[in-house]
Amino acid sequence: MSRPALAWSVAGLLAAVTLPWYALQEGLDSGVWLTGLWSSDDYASALGQVAALGRWWLAPVLLALLACVAISLPPLPRERRGTLLLWASGIGLGLLIAQALGIGLRGWTTNWLTALFGELEARQFGIGAGAAVILIALLSLLSIGLALRGAFGGDAFVAGAVTTVAASIVLFTAWPILRILLQAFQDGDGAFMPALLIDRLSTEKIWSLRCLAGGGRCGVAWNTLFLAIACGAGTTALGLAFALIVTRTSFAYKKTLRVLTVLPIITPPFVIGLALILVFGRSGLVNQFLEWSIGVPPTRWIYGFQGVFLAQLFAFTPVAFLVLIGVVEGVSPTLEEASQTLRADRWATFSTVSLPLMRPGLANAFLVGFIESIADFGNPIVLGGDYGVLSTEIYFAVVGAQLDYGRAAALALLLLAFALGAFFLQRRIVGTRSYATISGKGDSGLPSPLPDRARRAAQWVALPWAAITLLLYGFAFVGGLVKVWGRDYTPTLEHYAKAFAVETTADGVIWSGAAWNSFWTTVKLAAIAAPLTAALGLLAAWLLVRQRFAGRSTLEFATMLSFAVPGTVIGVAYVFAFNVPPLEITGTALIIVLCFIFRNMPVGVRAGMAAMSQIDRSLDEASLTLRGRAPQTLMFVVLPLLRPAIVGALVYGFVRAVTTVSAVVFLVTAEYELATTYIILRVINGDYGLAIAYSCALIVLMLAVILLIQLAVGERRLGRRAPQAQGGRA
Amino acid sequence: MSVEFRDVVKRYGNATAVAGVSFTVEAGTLVTLLGPSGCGKTTTLRLIAGLELPSEGRILIAGRDVTNLSATQRDVSMVFQSYALFPHMSVLENVCYGLLRSGIAKAEAAARARDGLKQVGLDGFEARQPSELSGGQQQRVAVARALVLKPSVLLFDEPLSNLDARLRRQMREEIRELQRSLGLTVVYVTHDQQEAMAVSDRIIVMNAGLIEQQGGPRDLYERPATPFLARFMGESTPARGAVRRLDAARVRVRLGEAEIDVADQHAADGDATVAVRPEAITVEPAPGPTGALAGKVAKASYLGTHMEYSITTAAGTLFATCPRVERPLAPGAAVALVLAPRGVIVVGR
Repeated sequence: MSRPALAWSVAGLLAAVTLPWYALQEGLDSGVWLTGLWSSDDYASALGQVAALGRWWLAPVLLALLACVAISLPPLPRERRGTLLLWASGIGLGLLIAQALGIGLRGWTTNWLTALFGELEARQFGIGAGAAVILIALLSLLSIGLALRGAFGGDAFVAGAVTTVAASIVLFTAWPILRILLQAFQDGDGAFMPALLIDRLSTEKIWSLRCLAGGGRCGVAWNTLFLAIACGAGTTALGLAFALIVTRTSFAYKKTLRVLTVLPIITPPFVIGLALILVFGRSGLVNQFLEWSIGVPPTRWIYGFQGVFLAQLFAFTPVAFLVLIGVVEGVSPTLEEASQTLRADRWATFSTVSLPLMRPGLANAFLVGFIESIADFGNPIVLGGDYGVLSTEIYFAVVGAQLDYGRAAALALLLLAFALGAFFLQRRIVGTRSYATISGKGDSGLPSPLPDRARRAAQWVALPWAAITLLLYGFAFVGGLVKVWGRDYTPTLEHYAKAFAVETTADGVIWSGAAWNSFWTTVKLAAIAAPLTAALGLLAAWLLVRQRFAGRSTLEFATMLSFAVPGTVIGVAYVFAFNVPPLEITGTALIIVLCFIFRNMPVGVRAGMAAMSQIDRSLDEASLTLRGRAPQTLMFVVLPLLRPAIVGALVYGFVRAVTTVSAVVFLVTAEYELATTYIILRVINGDYGLAIAYSCALIVLMLAVILLIQLAVGERRLGRRAPQAQGGRA
Repeated sequence: MSVEFRDVVKRYGNATAVAGVSFTVEAGTLVTLLGPSGCGKTTTLRLIAGLELPSEGRILIAGRDVTNLSATQRDVSMVFQSYALFPHMSVLENVCYGLLRSGIAKAEAAARARDGLKQVGLDGFEARQPSELSGGQQQRVAVARALVLKPSVLLFDEPLSNLDARLRRQMREEIRELQRSLGLTVVYVTHDQQEAMAVSDRIIVMNAGLIEQQGGPRDLYERPATPFLARFMGESTPARGAVRRLDAARVRVRLGEAEIDVADQHAADGDATVAVRPEAITVEPAPGPTGALAGKVAKASYLGTHMEYSITTAAGTLFATCPRVERPLAPGAAVALVLAPRGVIVVGR
């Protein structure tokens, strides 16, 4: 007998009898389905659907589960039981997926199926609780079968974990993106028209180059590319200057510069755009001063390429700094010392040794800046004016008056192509050549100070820039504390009051502020998503670093790839993939949470992988040979040593969920409105005071949450003399 | 309990780490897997542990087929090269770990862990962190941690390579002592042939994923079956010579002008590669006795207990050790080498 296999088969069968197969309008907690489990069209369980309602195509799934019970019970050799389980659950899964894709809201989904089987009267809604549990049970049985046959080191937990991670990435990243591809080829009625994509993509509005010839505007594709290249180059140069100052000079205020790296992570991405409007906008400080002093009439100068570029440069330079500081620190001082002992002076060392060693890191920083720029939605919508980019264009195609899903899909495809193009180009050029050398061995060399020329240049660029960045944040903060910026600078708290008012009446507390609804929704959904993001990310990292299995590199590549997919694309893809059966979750909170998780997971994976590869592999193996099964090893050995990475993943998961705009702007509804989308709407309506007050409140919230997570997870407890986890070698 | 390998193969992608290996480890013996780095010995050990599963073949422990069982499901435990002590746990927690995972109650686990620590001479160290121990003490904790589980088979992966020379000798004696007194079945991996000879009942020499030869330490040293083995066991240098059979049990080996009668049952007549053990060479100042091999000192090193010489001869460059340190020979000196028959081994063509 195999107990885990039996348990999962029985669980699946129980779900097939006691849970409704399809998703419910009323939700599972309403309880109305309990009376209709057998015969109600909407509420029936799988068994009811087959036996009482004649949905014969669900029968194979039930049979597969029964077969699994039969396979689990008798005494069989391991391999034989594994093979049988694999077949039974595999066929069950295959048919479950086939029927879900083959039969939709209007019977058969494709014409050849209708031709084959004849008209089908029945309709299918999205799958519900029963189907979900059965799907999980079948996946688990498949994993157990694989483990019994000796795959994944013969460990069912590892097999299950790999299946879970792979299945969820396929379902929530690969499938939606595939749907975009399909949608781009379909006309309004869903017919397949390959020529349509060319039509959609070959318009003047996308590819026009008139701006170069003087007069007229360029297409959105060129706009996006120009902006992204400028932003990538600019942020990389500035980030390098900062990184060099912090690591290679005796600059006195290094700590303050480090604070700069935290700011953009915890501020919603459009806050800088807002601040720029306060300074350079029509009623901003600069225009007002010019009008008052020399009578120049206010201009809308800031709106357009220059505004978006400035905002992105301010917003993403810290990100480049964060990437490059690791790169600069990673250049081994010993190599520089070697160069100096070989008769190279400081400048020659810097230009012939240090800089070339940093080149892969610089390419990486450029890629990050490039992708951040093309994915950015907040700044272009706030500051872009007539300068349209792909992300805003997609937004208007989906939510605007056009309501043209096909066009949105085609544009999203173009955006995806840019992102992946940059990603592959970078990999092609840099390859896996990374010379950064942080080994376990202590590197006793001292980093050589920057040559004077380079130091002066870096300081002249970076320091004024840092001052302006801080100043902008300062203006943004003050902007929430005055009545009407540009007209009435009376200090006031009325914006905060409007957003966050709380009244106490006889009936109790009333959260009457305008922001509370979206605020609580954001906090709730982010709090649900963060631990799931961290858990899935770290699990994936553990699998990728510690387990060897077929398809490992494919899985790693898939997680890397989803990092390069812009949020706008993910958002549109989710709308397309999940507003029709089999998985119908548009308009629910679930889709927003899923979007948070799969948008932010790749970073958790990278962080987890980096942390895990610093922990000696033999610690895991020791635990395994000491009777600790894989989950226990994870629990008692790996996780306690991973505390810093857990904190990082949790914080990132939460903060990114709160600050993201581009992906969720397509997914929010009146019922589930999020803080950032609410603020964007306020900004578009010109209500800057409230928007700024709300943004500041969000920043405070996130600082509080970061502290809370840090406290809850705690420090890792190691021996006093060994700061790194290296098998306890003294 | 015994361990048996039947035609086990382990591949990683295109690379073959173990290319078809069969052997049996008898219960209650200490068997060493010996070989140069990359020969597949560690992979073989990990196959026994269940940290790797074989691509082909079967593995049996105590007569039971464990081929596709994971490490946790096998009754083995392992002492790692890096000791792999959990840095976030105290010494006692480390030793308790396996007992607790096996479902033994806390109090009982602690008691057994204390016993285990006493066995390796570490009582009183329970509350320390691993990082507060010396290398030798960490090694003992790792042994205690594996020992308290009373495994059918205990595995050692180069356990002494992180210790200094003196401690290495002491620890290997302690391991052998424990193995004998408790009647443990032990599989031990090392690349150091002296260490292997000192601790083993039997040695399995591996090379390029295959078993080169197996047998007792004495068999392997005195009757190496291949040139590889002759070179690997003891630092003998291969020389070129000629062989002529005298009778069924003896051959006459000619090296340069020297002729030595050697016990051998297999070698065929003709040119041959001959291994000469360094300790079998007596270095005399020239001209020396008749039948000696003439040579010239190329390099000389003083090592306190003995001298080491590289000597160029007509049969090739020979490596010799010489216990007489009071009157060392300088490079360039002409010498005569007297070869003792037990240290001259015909190893092939």
